[in-house]
Amino acid sequence: MANDNFIIYEEEITRIEAIISRMLQSAEAKCALLVDKDGHLITRQGFTHSLDTTALAALLAGSFASTKEIARLVGEPEFSVLFHQGKKDHIHMCLIGERSILVVIFDDRTTIGMVRLCAKETAAELTKVFEEISQNSQAKAASAVSDDFASMAQDKLDDIFQD
Amino acid sequence: MVSINYSSREVCCKIVYYGPGLSGKTTNLQYVHSKVPASTRGKLISLATESDRTLYFDFLPINIGAINGFAAKFQLYTVPGQVYYNATRKLVLRGVDGIVFVADSQPDKMEENIESLVNLEENLKEYGYDINDVPLVIQYNKRDLPGVMPVEQLNAKLNLRDWPFFGASATIGNGVFDTLKLIIKLVLDKAKSSSAPRPSPAEVERRTPVAASALAANGASGPSAASESRPEKPLPVTAASSVPPTPVPAEEPAPTAPLESPPVVRTPEVSPAETTDVAASERGAMPASYQYRPYPGSEKEEDSQRKISPTTFSPVQREEPAEASIGQKLIKPNSADKEDPSERAGTPVMAPAVRRRSRKKRRGFFKRLFGIK
Repeated sequence: MANDNFIIYEEEITRIEAIISRMLQSAEAKCALLVDKDGHLITRQGFTHSLDTTALAALLAGSFASTKEIARLVGEPEFSVLFHQGKKDHIHMCLIGERSILVVIFDDRTTIGMVRLCAKETAAELTKVFEEISQNSQAKAASAVSDDFASMAQDKLDDIFQD
Repeated sequence: MVSINYSSREVCCKIVYYGPGLSGKTTNLQYVHSKVPASTRGKLISLATESDRTLYFDFLPINIGAINGFAAKFQLYTVPGQVYYNATRKLVLRGVDGIVFVADSQPDKMEENIESLVNLEENLKEYGYDINDVPLVIQYNKRDLPGVMPVEQLNAKLNLRDWPFFGASATIGNGVFDTLKLIIKLVLDKAKSSSAPRPSPAEVERRTPVAASALAANGASGPSAASESRPEKPLPVTAASSVPPTPVPAEEPAPTAPLESPPVVRTPEVSPAETTDVAASERGAMPASYQYRPYPGSEKEEDSQRKISPTTFSPVQREEPAEASIGQKLIKPNSADKEDPSERAGTPVMAPAVRRRSRKKRRGFFKRLFGIK
């Protein structure tokens, strides 16, 4: 697992996005993010334009990771659902498979119960999709990064990182 | 593990700045943040205590733009350096692609450097990484301070795996970009070669524990560092390390069961729920117990009007309403209400109030018809 590259192809992300947007509609939530446990944003749906989703993904993944450690100290393997309540907006996080987190941001137009129900169903669907993705990326691992990618990146870096 | 998103055409790499407390990890990120064009960098997020010591991590996303049609994104993290934050420090290492080890060049910090390097290896091992496999660059920081150790000495004590190294001064910015450029290069090279994950024999040979060799090479100060570090290393280390030896095997079988069963159970669950909902809503709209009943008086009034004949208007009947009219007006509404339920349940009977009113009307009609005054 340590050396696995995580590769998502377009048709898979389209499937994932369709599942998430269906969930957003049925739960009447504001937006949803799909975040890797390492803090990478996989995809986002809904009204996310006002959000710094990159930072949000990193922080949410961090929050989930620290909660996992808390769970271990308590004697649980992992807390699979996390909920942050605010004055207006609330965040519901739930685990998908073993390496992704579905984050749903919602306000008072819907209820936590509704979001939780929909997220649970979506999590089951997405888990299936991710299983397939992990099989596919094992099969197609060779096509990850092309040879000249690193050298081209170096040229760019020289331009950008000038003292 | 490099994350490659073919849909949004992104390659995401996670680079962690590791090192002892106050060695300048956050300063590295702050310098990068201050010098890189705003279009390239994101917001620097620092989860720090009130005294600006990193509590959880600092985070700086960098997007160097499209290469071969893919946006190359790098996420720079720092860890909290203090010994007792090991639990959170370990969390940041999850999914790391490359590590910059920021060492403090001051002689009195050498033990902390070694301790941190040992800790790095331990933490990586808990995630199933080998420190020899992860791209790593050492940065000897604080070169601008007086009385720092020469790089050769630092190398002799810390750099036992021939990792590339740089002297740096993060506050001024010397060596910061060199370190970052090199680690990005190493990470991308690693991603490229990860399609052939089999380690070469040379690599296998090199896989001697760094911790042991570092301490051995360090001579007298090594064991003392280790012995001093033991009591300081708090519960989280032992508690965490006692649990995770089998994190991967423990996690892997667990998802398979939830993966398989819930969809199978859930999909039938959903459809019956929906169908019952539909059935319930249909019943709600037209309950089986409900039958349309006309208002009791409405049909009977027509019937009674049809039966009207002059014979029904006897003088006795004519006087009757006159006597009862006052009482009727007061009583009838109540009595009509009381009769309603019984009428619905059994045979509907015309409400008396309606009957009386209709007789009055009839009387008026016949009076006018026959010219009675």
